[in-house]
This record gives sequence, C-alpha cells and structure tokens, in this order.
Amino acid sequence: MSHQLRPATETDLQPIMEIEKASFGNDSWSKPTMRAELMSPHTFYVVAYINEKVVGYAGLSKVKSSVSADIQTIAVDQTLRRRGIGRELIEKLIAEAVHLGASELYLEVREDKPAPQRLYESLGFEAIDKRENYYQPDGISAIVMRLALDSTKITEPVVLGIETSCDETGIGIVRGTTLLANVISSSMDQHARFGGVVPEIAARAHLEALEPTLQKALQDAGLSISEIDAVAVTNGPGLAGALMVGVGAAKALAVAIDKPIYAVNHLVAHVAVDVLERGILETPTVALLVSGGHTSLLLVRDLIHDVELLGETIDDAAGEAFDKIARILGLSYPGGPEIDRVAKDGNPKAVRFPRGLTLPKDQEKHRYNFSFSGLKTAVARHVELAESKGEKVLVPDIAASFREAVVDVLLTKAINACLDNDVPRLILGGGVVANARLREVAATRCEEAGIELRIPAFSLCTDNGAMIASLAAQKIMAGEEPSELGFGVYSTLAI
Amino acid sequence: MTQVLLAIDTSSGTAVSVLVDGAVLSELYEDNSMQHAEHIGLLVSGALAKAGKKPGQVTAVAVGVGPAPFTGLRVGIAAAKLFAEGVKAPIFGVSSLSAIAFPEPLDDPTLVLTDARRSEVYFGLFQGKTIHGDPKVLLGPGVKKRAELEAELLALGIRYLTVTSQIKASSIGMLVLAQLAEGTAQSKVLANYLRAPDAVPAKAKKVSG
Repeated sequence: MSHQLRPATETDLQPIMEIEKASFGNDSWSKPTMRAELMSPHTFYVVAYINEKVVGYAGLSKVKSSVSADIQTIAVDQTLRRRGIGRELIEKLIAEAVHLGASELYLEVREDKPAPQRLYESLGFEAIDKRENYYQPDGISAIVMRLALDSTKITEPVVLGIETSCDETGIGIVRGTTLLANVISSSMDQHARFGGVVPEIAARAHLEALEPTLQKALQDAGLSISEIDAVAVTNGPGLAGALMVGVGAAKALAVAIDKPIYAVNHLVAHVAVDVLERGILETPTVALLVSGGHTSLLLVRDLIHDVELLGETIDDAAGEAFDKIARILGLSYPGGPEIDRVAKDGNPKAVRFPRGLTLPKDQEKHRYNFSFSGLKTAVARHVELAESKGEKVLVPDIAASFREAVVDVLLTKAINACLDNDVPRLILGGGVVANARLREVAATRCEEAGIELRIPAFSLCTDNGAMIASLAAQKIMAGEEPSELGFGVYSTLAI
Repeated sequence: MTQVLLAIDTSSGTAVSVLVDGAVLSELYEDNSMQHAEHIGLLVSGALAKAGKKPGQVTAVAVGVGPAPFTGLRVGIAAAKLFAEGVKAPIFGVSSLSAIAFPEPLDDPTLVLTDARRSEVYFGLFQGKTIHGDPKVLLGPGVKKRAELEAELLALGIRYLTVTSQIKASSIGMLVLAQLAEGTAQSKVLANYLRAPDAVPAKAKKVSG
C-alpha cells in the first residue's frame, strides 16, 4: 500500500504521539506541547498516512515577519522506514517554506544519526554549526543544517503550461504549488452564432492567440522565458485539431529553451488546481468535472499515480445540454449563464424532467455515467407540445426545471461516488461550475452527507494553462520523468 | 555574426532544415500527412543537432504558411512561433507554393500544384524571379478542382509546365533569405487557409421530431 500526505489536524494528535514516543523515547515532546505545535498559527504540520492510519509526520515553523523557517521535527513509524516517506515529508516542508516566502530553512539533527544527515544533505542542506550536549539526558551534540531556498529549484520547479483542448487558449505559469500567471484567451464569441464550439474556428483562434497569451503570462509572472524549468501541454482529451496547435507549439518551445516537456491529461489537470489554492491535494477525493466538453467523475487516490475514471457522459456533455436547451428556449450562447439568469425567476419544480441513468436498472452498468440526450428531448417535446396547444411557453419555469434536473443528476451521482468509495471530499471543476444552482446544491448535499466540498476559483475551474502547469509541477516534484518528444495527441486520451 | 536560420514547413509532411549563412546544413522530412504534432519536436531538435547548432544559436525562424490542409499546417506555424519566442529570434512567413517553385528555373510559366483534398488542388502560377530569386506570381495562390483550373488556363491561352514536387524546408529558408535581401520578408505570420471553416450558423430550436 502506498502512503499519502495531507496537512495534520488536531485529530491526528493521538497517533502522532504514539510515533513520537516510539521514535524519541526520553526526548519526546509531551502531548500538550505537541498539541500547541499542531495548533500554532506559525507552524505547518503534515502527516503521511496509509489506509487512513498516520504513519509519519513532520512540522515546520515560520514566523510571518521572518525570512527563515525551521524544521521542528520529523518521525516515521519504525516499521515503515526506508520507503522514502521521510524524504517526501521533508520535501513537502521545503515546498511549504518556499510557499511562505522563507529564503532559508534550518534544522538540527543528532550527531549520532548518520542516516538522517545523509538524507538532508541529499536534499541540499549543509552543516553550518554544532551544538555540544544538545540532546539530553544522552549528551549528544546537534548538527545545525541550513538550506538556502532560492537555490532549491528542483523542489519548486517553474512550469509553463499550455492548454488548447477546446475553445480557450490558456497559458499558465506556476512555481511548485504557487500560481504565478494564468492567462486565458477565449474564442467563445466567435462560436456564438453557431450555437456551439466549431473545432476549426477554435483551432484557428489558438494559433493567433499563442504568442500574445505567452507574452502576457510571462509578463504577469515577472519572468523571462529562460527562467522556465519545464514546459507542459495538454495532449488529450479534447478536439484533435485544437490539441495539435498546443502540442506543436509546446514541443518547439521546449526544444528552443532546452527544457523538458510533460504531456498532461486535461481531466486530471482539472483536479491539480487544488494544490495551487491549498498547497496540497487532500486525497482520496472524488472530482466532478462538468464543462461543454466533459461530464466526468474521477476517483483520485493519488494525483500522480492513482486516478480512476468512475464514469462519464455517454452522449452530450452537461455544458452542451445547457447550450442546446438555451437554443430551444430562444436564449443566446453560451447557454449556461443564460439559463442561470432566466431560471432565477422560475419554479424548479414546475416540470419534472427525467433524470438520465438514475433508475434502479441503470445502477449496475451506469451508476456513475451520465446521459443528457433524453432530458434534452423531453424539454424540446414539452416546448413543442405547449406551442402546438397554443399555450404560453414559460421560459423561466422550464429553464429552472431543466437546470434542476441536470444539477440533481450531477450531484446525486457525485455524492454516491463519495459514499460508495468512502471518500469524504468532493472537488468540482470545469466551466459549468460557474452555474449558481450547481454550487448551491453541491454545498447543501455535501453538508448533509458530511462531505467536504472544494470549489476552486472560477478562473481555475474553466479550462486554463495553470492547471496543466500545476499537474506537471506535481509530476516533477514526485520525480516523474519527462515525456518523450515524439508523444502524440489523443482526442479520447484515457486517464 | 553567423546567421543560423531554422526553417519549418508542415504543408504536406513535416519538413525542417537548418541553414547557416545560406548553406543548408540539415534537411529532415517525415512523409506523414497526419502526424505533424508527433514529429515536429524531434525534427526540430534533430535538424539542429545535425547542423551542429544549439537552439540558442538560431538567429531567425522561417516558416511555410501554406496554403495547405489546415490541421497540419497549423502545427508547423505554431511550432515556429513559439520556437522564435523561446530563443527571442525574429520569425518570417512565406508561401509554401512559392517555396516549391523556388528551385525551378521558372523561365516558362510554371504551375505549382499541391493536394488540397476534397478532390481539389492548391495552385500558384509562377514565371521569372526577382533579382534575389523570389518567384514572381502570375496567378494564385488559389484552390480549385484541377480540371477546372486547367480549363481556365487553356481559355487564357497560357502554356505552362506543371510542378508537383515535394516541398523542402530548405527552400522555405532560401526564400526567406531572398525576401530579406529584397526587403520584402513578412514578419507577420498568418496561416493562408484559402477556405473558410466548415460551419453553418445554428438554426433556432427543433431538436425533437
């Protein structure tokens, strides 16, 4: 079983104390001291866990006004050492220290413990001092080690991400888990009169937008192109012709600046934005991704190594359904915001539209899959029937009832995915997250089910380059090798 | 200063060449009209390596802007644009049809034809060259059914040679050098599609039925 990391909470105190006592014996901290440490506003504690069981922990102290940070402690369950858990804990603390603006990081290590000293050296720490008789009652000296954080590029890579899978040309730049730039150029307006994204128009727009978007992203980040450590690009899923623009550009850029390139899965990248807001992705998590091109449920046990596609739409994407219904109701493109606008004054219970793939007979094969074509037809029939009878079509009621049906299905399935898999959190992604009702119902239902809900900032929910850069940065920090330069483009790329 | 020109064209397959002070030091071609995105990175890095040049030594980028099938054409232009951004070098676009005409004598009217799919051809009619060697255009570039085009040329009483040669990236490079010498090089790089996107404005409603 592999281990994972997450920020520590007060409920971790008991298991932490068990490891503390077993690891440090005479030297160990008391429970009140440890509780104060965990709860202090000046500390950051992270735990490693396997199957919910805490197997290691480490803590950082950083006072806001100070430029230096200290590693307070680290311990790993004695039966689980030499698996790289300690290294990952320290790497996380280094990343957090950089995130908090520290320029140097200090720690003390027992002189009689060569193994941890070697670990710290391999991470770039240098011995700078020795404190005699530091550890009592054993009288062991402490070696003081220091890491200059401005030289820790490997732990905090600067990654430029390029996203061209649909109608947004996105270029984002991150440093490790820190967002530096997120520039999006959308061709949405050009698609409006066609009532949906036209692939050829989108691809042409990407080609025009590449250079200005790149220049703006570098300007926002305050970086020159030579300061980029790696290039990342979406290679699927998405519109093939649109993806190829980004991949061709990204490959040439990587060659030009002589830096590695990472091909990134668009759907998984949607989940990776959470680390830009919270520094870490808490796992396991279910992700509900809803846009004009996708409606997918992902189970993320580990962002890099273990992402499972639980289900997806078998026909239209949810965003597409909004566009089509908007057209039926005589509203403009894109349909999501328009339906949201008119639905405000409508009764969501006016018409009971069908909820696709929610019947008991669908539960075996399609428990986590979505279908919106039946709903679309039902709305169209309803409107046609009303018109043929000479009745007034109540647009606000139909919009509200339609929206309610979509939101109901999306969240019923997402919550089921959480409960079935014993996952206490749900993250939303994709452009449809802008829908007010979706956010509202998500909050209520998650609260009822005791599920933690994460909704990233909208600029990070819609397709963007920062999410691509963020996932690649996570890959780099996890030691993943770059992609071979000959990788392809896959419109239906599997996870 | 040594001039290192990286030339890219994806109007048919993927073609990359490196010219150093006008001499062609490498010329790579992948004859697959579907896999430009796969090949482009390897060919750019391969062409530079073969020429013994580092990416940072490139002083200018040349790219063929078509006319050509859209999807592949864009890969080369996208790559050329961001390569140029990456090494902070100027970029110049030239007609892919003129590049095919470039090595021809062009004493007589010469019709360059490439595959435009949908049983049509992209065409340009050339005769003569400028002092630095840029082919002079008589007609085109355009896209038509070949039989239609030939009938029109016949009606105009034009006798011509037909060229359907494979494009060379080095010709893209040479052509840019000729245009630079003449002061006609185009630094605004726009894909020459010649066709509008296939898309019909949406009609309102009627989904069921």
